[in-house]
Amino acid sequence: MLETTPHTLTEHQPESIRSLYDRHAGMLLGYIFEVVKDRKLAEEYLVKVFCDLSVRFNDVNRTGISGWPQLQKFARQKLLSFPGSPGYTNLNTGLKISDSPNSALRQLTEEQRQVFCDIYYKGRTIADISRTLNKTEDLTRKALKEAFAIMRKGSEN
Amino acid sequence: MKINEYIESGILEAYVLGSASEAEANELLYLKTQHPQIEDAIFKLESDLERIAEHMAIAPPPNTWAKIEGGINELVKTPQFEYLIGDEPKENSRGSKSGKSAQFIEVEAESGHMRIRKIWRWVFLAVFVLGKIFLAFAIYYYLENRHTQEEIEKLKTELENKRTK
Repeated sequence: MLETTPHTLTEHQPESIRSLYDRHAGMLLGYIFEVVKDRKLAEEYLVKVFCDLSVRFNDVNRTGISGWPQLQKFARQKLLSFPGSPGYTNLNTGLKISDSPNSALRQLTEEQRQVFCDIYYKGRTIADISRTLNKTEDLTRKALKEAFAIMRKGSEN
Repeated sequence: MKINEYIESGILEAYVLGSASEAEANELLYLKTQHPQIEDAIFKLESDLERIAEHMAIAPPPNTWAKIEGGINELVKTPQFEYLIGDEPKENSRGSKSGKSAQFIEVEAESGHMRIRKIWRWVFLAVFVLGKIFLAFAIYYYLENRHTQEEIEKLKTELENKRTK
Protein backbone atom coordinates (compact mmCIF):
# COMPACT_ATOMS: atom_id res chain seq x y z
CA MET A 1 0.00 0.00 0.00
CA LEU A 2 1.26 3.45 -0.85
CA GLU A 3 2.15 5.52 2.14
CA THR A 4 0.70 8.97 2.01
CA THR A 5 2.06 11.79 4.10
CA PRO A 6 1.04 15.41 4.18
CA HIS A 7 4.43 16.26 2.75
CA THR A 8 4.06 14.08 -0.33
CA LEU A 9 0.54 15.34 -0.90
CA THR A 10 1.49 18.99 -0.82
CA GLU A 11 4.53 18.28 -2.88
CA HIS A 12 2.69 16.63 -5.72
CA GLN A 13 -0.80 18.05 -5.62
CA PRO A 14 -0.54 21.64 -6.77
CA GLU A 15 0.76 20.84 -10.26
CA SER A 16 -1.96 18.26 -10.86
CA ILE A 17 -4.66 20.42 -9.37
CA ARG A 18 -3.22 23.30 -11.34
CA SER A 19 -3.57 21.43 -14.61
CA LEU A 20 -7.20 20.61 -13.76
CA TYR A 21 -7.67 24.25 -12.87
CA ASP A 22 -6.14 25.46 -16.13
CA ARG A 23 -8.34 23.20 -18.18
CA HIS A 24 -11.63 23.42 -16.34
CA ALA A 25 -11.77 26.37 -13.92
CA GLY A 26 -13.72 28.55 -16.36
CA MET A 27 -16.15 25.76 -17.12
CA LEU A 28 -16.58 25.01 -13.45
CA LEU A 29 -17.16 28.66 -12.60
CA GLY A 30 -19.78 28.86 -15.34
CA TYR A 31 -21.40 25.71 -14.00
CA ILE A 32 -21.43 26.92 -10.40
CA PHE A 33 -22.72 30.31 -11.49
CA GLU A 34 -25.70 28.63 -13.18
CA VAL A 35 -26.43 26.98 -9.84
CA VAL A 36 -26.01 29.91 -7.46
CA LYS A 37 -26.72 32.84 -9.83
CA ASP A 38 -24.26 34.96 -7.88
CA ARG A 39 -20.84 35.67 -9.33
CA LYS A 40 -19.08 36.29 -6.03
CA LEU A 41 -20.57 33.25 -4.37
CA ALA A 42 -19.74 31.16 -7.42
CA GLU A 43 -16.10 32.25 -7.19
CA GLU A 44 -16.07 31.38 -3.48
CA TYR A 45 -17.48 27.93 -4.19
CA LEU A 46 -14.99 27.43 -7.02
CA VAL A 47 -12.15 27.95 -4.53
CA LYS A 48 -13.82 25.60 -2.04
CA VAL A 49 -14.35 22.89 -4.65
CA PHE A 50 -10.72 23.00 -5.76
CA CYS A 51 -9.50 22.98 -2.15
CA ASP A 52 -11.70 19.99 -1.44
CA LEU A 53 -10.51 18.36 -4.60
CA SER A 54 -6.92 18.77 -3.44
CA VAL A 55 -7.78 17.03 -0.15
CA ARG A 56 -9.20 14.08 -2.04
CA PHE A 57 -6.75 14.23 -4.86
CA ASN A 58 -5.19 10.86 -4.17
CA ASP A 59 -8.59 9.18 -4.40
CA VAL A 60 -9.36 11.33 -7.37
CA ASN A 61 -6.23 10.18 -9.13
CA ARG A 62 -7.12 6.58 -8.52
CA THR A 63 -10.67 6.99 -9.73
CA GLY A 64 -9.48 9.00 -12.69
CA ILE A 65 -10.92 12.51 -12.43
CA SER A 66 -9.23 14.03 -15.37
CA GLY A 67 -12.12 14.96 -17.58
CA TRP A 68 -14.95 17.41 -17.26
CA PRO A 69 -17.80 14.89 -16.62
CA GLN A 70 -16.10 13.55 -13.51
CA LEU A 71 -15.11 16.99 -12.27
CA GLN A 72 -18.64 18.27 -12.83
CA LYS A 73 -20.10 15.37 -10.83
CA PHE A 74 -17.59 15.98 -8.05
CA ALA A 75 -18.47 19.68 -7.98
CA ARG A 76 -22.19 18.91 -7.98
CA GLN A 77 -21.76 16.56 -5.04
CA LYS A 78 -19.74 19.21 -3.21
CA LEU A 79 -22.25 21.95 -3.92
CA LEU A 80 -25.02 19.77 -2.56
CA SER A 81 -23.02 19.10 0.59
CA PHE A 82 -22.38 22.78 1.38
CA PRO A 83 -25.01 23.41 4.05
CA GLY A 84 -27.00 26.51 3.38
CA SER A 85 -25.76 26.51 -0.17
CA PRO A 86 -28.21 28.92 -1.70
CA GLY A 87 -27.79 27.28 -5.05
CA TYR A 88 -30.09 24.42 -4.46
CA THR A 89 -32.74 26.42 -2.73
CA ASN A 90 -32.59 29.15 -5.32
CA LEU A 91 -32.24 26.99 -8.35
CA ASN A 92 -35.75 26.87 -9.60
CA THR A 93 -35.41 25.73 -13.12
CA GLY A 94 -37.46 27.72 -15.48
CA LEU A 95 -38.06 30.55 -13.05
CA LYS A 96 -34.48 31.73 -12.62
CA ILE A 97 -33.66 31.24 -16.25
CA SER A 98 -34.04 34.94 -16.93
CA ASP A 99 -30.84 35.45 -14.92
CA SER A 100 -28.93 33.03 -17.04
CA PRO A 101 -26.57 34.41 -19.64
CA ASN A 102 -26.77 31.08 -21.40
CA SER A 103 -28.83 31.33 -24.54
CA ALA A 104 -28.86 27.56 -25.10
CA LEU A 105 -30.86 27.02 -21.90
CA ARG A 106 -33.41 29.55 -23.12
CA GLN A 107 -34.05 27.47 -26.22
CA LEU A 108 -35.35 24.56 -24.19
CA THR A 109 -39.00 24.10 -23.43
CA GLU A 110 -39.94 24.42 -19.79
CA GLU A 111 -40.13 20.67 -19.37
CA GLN A 112 -36.85 20.00 -21.18
CA ARG A 113 -35.17 22.68 -19.09
CA GLN A 114 -36.51 21.23 -15.87
CA VAL A 115 -35.34 17.74 -16.77
CA PHE A 116 -31.91 18.93 -17.96
CA CYS A 117 -31.30 21.31 -15.04
CA ASP A 118 -32.60 18.90 -12.40
CA ILE A 119 -30.17 16.28 -13.64
CA TYR A 120 -27.18 18.40 -14.61
CA TYR A 121 -27.26 20.82 -11.70
CA LYS A 122 -29.16 19.01 -8.96
CA GLY A 123 -28.14 15.43 -9.68
CA ARG A 124 -31.71 14.14 -9.46
CA THR A 125 -32.46 10.74 -10.88
CA ILE A 126 -34.68 10.02 -13.86
CA ALA A 127 -37.06 8.06 -11.61
CA ASP A 128 -37.35 10.98 -9.19
CA ILE A 129 -38.01 13.53 -11.92
CA SER A 130 -40.52 11.21 -13.60
CA ARG A 131 -42.49 11.05 -10.36
CA THR A 132 -42.44 14.85 -10.07
CA LEU A 133 -43.54 15.35 -13.65
CA ASN A 134 -45.98 12.47 -13.48
CA LYS A 135 -44.46 10.95 -16.60
CA THR A 136 -42.97 7.63 -17.52
CA GLU A 137 -39.20 7.26 -17.18
CA ASP A 138 -38.99 6.65 -20.94
CA LEU A 139 -40.61 10.00 -21.66
CA THR A 140 -38.35 11.75 -19.15
CA ARG A 141 -35.27 10.21 -20.78
CA LYS A 142 -36.56 11.31 -24.15
CA ALA A 143 -36.98 14.87 -22.87
CA LEU A 144 -33.43 14.72 -21.54
CA LYS A 145 -32.13 13.49 -24.87
CA GLU A 146 -33.90 16.29 -26.71
CA ALA A 147 -32.63 18.87 -24.22
CA PHE A 148 -29.10 17.55 -24.56
CA ALA A 149 -29.31 17.74 -28.35
CA ILE A 150 -30.52 21.37 -28.20
CA MET A 151 -27.80 22.30 -25.71
CA ARG A 152 -25.19 20.65 -27.94
CA LYS A 153 -26.46 22.51 -30.96
CA GLY A 154 -26.48 25.77 -28.98
CA SER A 155 -22.88 25.25 -27.93
CA GLU A 156 -21.80 24.68 -31.52
CA ASN A 157 -23.03 28.08 -32.64
CA MET B 1 -32.30 -5.73 -27.67
CA LYS B 2 -31.93 -3.31 -30.54
CA ILE B 3 -28.81 -1.31 -29.85
CA ASN B 4 -29.87 1.71 -31.89
CA GLU B 5 -33.11 1.95 -29.94
CA TYR B 6 -31.15 1.61 -26.72
CA ILE B 7 -28.79 4.42 -27.75
CA GLU B 8 -31.72 6.60 -28.79
CA SER B 9 -33.63 5.97 -25.55
CA GLY B 10 -31.76 8.71 -23.68
CA ILE B 11 -30.19 6.33 -21.21
CA LEU B 12 -26.69 7.25 -22.37
CA GLU B 13 -27.36 10.92 -21.68
CA ALA B 14 -28.66 10.00 -18.22
CA TYR B 15 -25.50 7.95 -17.61
CA VAL B 16 -23.12 10.69 -18.78
CA LEU B 17 -24.91 13.24 -16.58
CA GLY B 18 -24.68 10.87 -13.61
CA SER B 19 -28.41 10.29 -13.34
CA ALA B 20 -28.67 6.62 -14.29
CA SER B 21 -29.63 4.16 -11.56
CA GLU B 22 -27.11 1.53 -10.47
CA ALA B 23 -28.91 -1.19 -12.42
CA GLU B 24 -29.01 0.98 -15.55
CA ALA B 25 -25.33 1.86 -15.19
CA ASN B 26 -24.38 -1.79 -14.75
CA GLU B 27 -26.39 -2.81 -17.78
CA LEU B 28 -24.83 -0.01 -19.79
CA LEU B 29 -21.31 -0.95 -18.76
CA TYR B 30 -21.99 -4.55 -19.75
CA LEU B 31 -23.47 -3.53 -23.13
CA LYS B 32 -20.55 -1.19 -23.69
CA THR B 33 -18.19 -4.14 -23.69
CA GLN B 34 -20.42 -5.98 -26.17
CA HIS B 35 -21.18 -3.10 -28.53
CA PRO B 36 -18.45 -0.64 -29.50
CA GLN B 37 -21.04 1.80 -30.85
CA ILE B 38 -22.21 2.37 -27.27
CA GLU B 39 -18.69 3.22 -26.21
CA ASP B 40 -18.38 5.61 -29.15
CA ALA B 41 -21.71 7.22 -28.31
CA ILE B 42 -20.67 7.73 -24.67
CA PHE B 43 -17.36 9.22 -25.73
CA LYS B 44 -19.20 11.58 -28.07
CA LEU B 45 -21.69 12.57 -25.37
CA GLU B 46 -18.86 13.28 -22.91
CA SER B 47 -17.17 15.49 -25.52
CA ASP B 48 -20.51 17.24 -26.13
CA LEU B 49 -20.98 17.77 -22.42
CA GLU B 50 -17.53 19.34 -22.25
CA ARG B 51 -18.38 21.59 -25.19
CA ILE B 52 -21.63 22.65 -23.51
CA ALA B 53 -19.69 23.50 -20.36
CA GLU B 54 -17.09 25.41 -22.40
CA HIS B 55 -19.90 27.37 -23.97
CA MET B 56 -21.16 28.33 -20.51
CA ALA B 57 -17.68 29.02 -19.11
CA ILE B 58 -16.83 32.19 -17.21
CA ALA B 59 -13.18 33.19 -16.87
CA PRO B 60 -12.23 33.21 -13.18
CA PRO B 61 -10.62 36.37 -11.77
CA PRO B 62 -6.80 36.36 -11.93
CA ASN B 63 -6.33 35.94 -8.16
CA THR B 64 -8.45 32.77 -7.94
CA TRP B 65 -5.55 30.36 -8.17
CA ALA B 66 -3.71 32.22 -5.40
CA LYS B 67 -6.81 31.80 -3.20
CA ILE B 68 -6.95 28.08 -3.97
CA GLU B 69 -3.26 27.69 -3.16
CA GLY B 70 -3.80 29.58 0.08
CA GLY B 71 -6.75 27.34 0.90
CA ILE B 72 -4.75 24.19 0.19
CA ASN B 73 -1.88 25.42 2.37
CA GLU B 74 -4.33 26.20 5.17
CA LEU B 75 -5.82 22.73 4.91
CA VAL B 76 -2.35 21.25 5.18
CA LYS B 77 -1.65 23.24 8.34
CA THR B 78 -4.95 22.52 10.10
CA PRO B 79 -5.63 19.26 11.97
CA GLN B 80 -8.48 18.63 9.53
CA PHE B 81 -5.75 17.50 7.17
CA GLU B 82 -5.01 14.52 9.38
CA TYR B 83 -7.79 12.45 7.90
CA LEU B 84 -5.94 12.40 4.63
CA ILE B 85 -3.61 9.86 6.09
CA GLY B 86 -6.30 8.08 8.08
CA ASP B 87 -9.93 7.27 7.54
CA GLU B 88 -11.92 9.86 5.74
CA PRO B 89 -14.68 11.32 7.90
CA LYS B 90 -18.27 10.63 6.97
CA GLU B 91 -20.11 13.13 4.81
CA ASN B 92 -22.27 14.21 7.76
CA SER B 93 -19.37 15.26 9.89
CA ARG B 94 -17.81 17.04 6.93
CA GLY B 95 -21.14 18.68 6.37
CA SER B 96 -21.16 20.10 9.85
CA LYS B 97 -17.71 21.54 9.27
CA SER B 98 -18.85 23.13 6.09
CA GLY B 99 -21.83 24.35 8.05
CA LYS B 100 -19.48 26.20 10.34
CA SER B 101 -17.65 27.74 7.45
CA ALA B 102 -20.92 28.95 6.00
CA GLN B 103 -21.43 31.03 9.13
CA PHE B 104 -18.20 32.93 8.52
CA ILE B 105 -17.43 35.78 6.24
CA GLU B 106 -13.98 36.03 4.80
CA VAL B 107 -12.05 39.19 5.33
CA GLU B 108 -9.26 39.41 2.86
CA ALA B 109 -6.14 41.33 3.79
CA GLU B 110 -2.87 41.66 1.98
CA SER B 111 -1.24 39.24 4.39
CA GLY B 112 -3.93 36.58 4.11
CA HIS B 113 -7.40 35.79 5.40
CA MET B 114 -9.14 36.25 8.70
CA ARG B 115 -12.42 34.56 9.49
CA ILE B 116 -15.00 36.12 11.75
CA ARG B 117 -18.61 35.27 12.44
CA LYS B 118 -21.13 37.43 10.66
CA ILE B 119 -22.92 38.03 13.99
CA TRP B 120 -19.88 39.99 15.20
CA ARG B 121 -20.76 42.77 12.79
CA TRP B 122 -23.91 43.51 14.86
CA VAL B 123 -22.13 42.90 18.14
CA PHE B 124 -19.46 45.44 17.19
CA LEU B 125 -22.13 47.93 16.18
CA ALA B 126 -24.06 47.40 19.43
CA VAL B 127 -20.87 47.77 21.49
CA PHE B 128 -20.00 50.96 19.64
CA VAL B 129 -23.46 52.50 20.15
CA LEU B 130 -23.63 51.43 23.81
CA GLY B 131 -20.12 52.81 24.32
CA LYS B 132 -21.24 56.20 23.01
CA ILE B 133 -24.34 56.16 25.24
CA PHE B 134 -22.30 55.26 28.34
CA LEU B 135 -19.79 57.96 27.49
CA ALA B 136 -22.54 60.56 27.20
CA PHE B 137 -24.04 59.45 30.54
CA ALA B 138 -20.61 59.46 32.17
CA ILE B 139 -19.90 63.03 30.99
CA TYR B 140 -23.38 64.14 32.08
CA TYR B 141 -23.06 62.64 35.58
CA TYR B 142 -19.50 63.93 35.91
CA LEU B 143 -20.63 67.49 35.16
CA GLU B 144 -23.69 67.07 37.37
CA ASN B 145 -21.55 65.78 40.20
CA ARG B 146 -19.08 68.63 39.81
CA HIS B 147 -21.90 71.11 39.84
CA THR B 148 -23.36 69.54 42.99
CA GLN B 149 -19.94 69.59 44.67
CA GLU B 150 -19.62 73.27 43.87
CA GLU B 151 -23.10 73.91 45.29
CA ILE B 152 -22.19 72.04 48.48
CA GLU B 153 -18.97 74.01 48.79
CA LYS B 154 -20.89 77.23 48.34
CA LEU B 155 -23.47 76.23 50.96
CA LYS B 156 -20.70 75.23 53.37
CA THR B 157 -18.95 78.57 53.03
CA GLU B 158 -22.29 80.38 53.41
CA LEU B 159 -23.04 78.38 56.54
CA GLU B 160 -19.61 79.08 57.98
CA ASN B 161 -20.00 82.77 57.22
CA LYS B 162 -23.34 82.81 59.03
CA ARG B 163 -21.84 81.04 62.05
CA THR B 164 -18.97 83.48 62.30
CA LYS B 165 -21.39 86.38 62.16
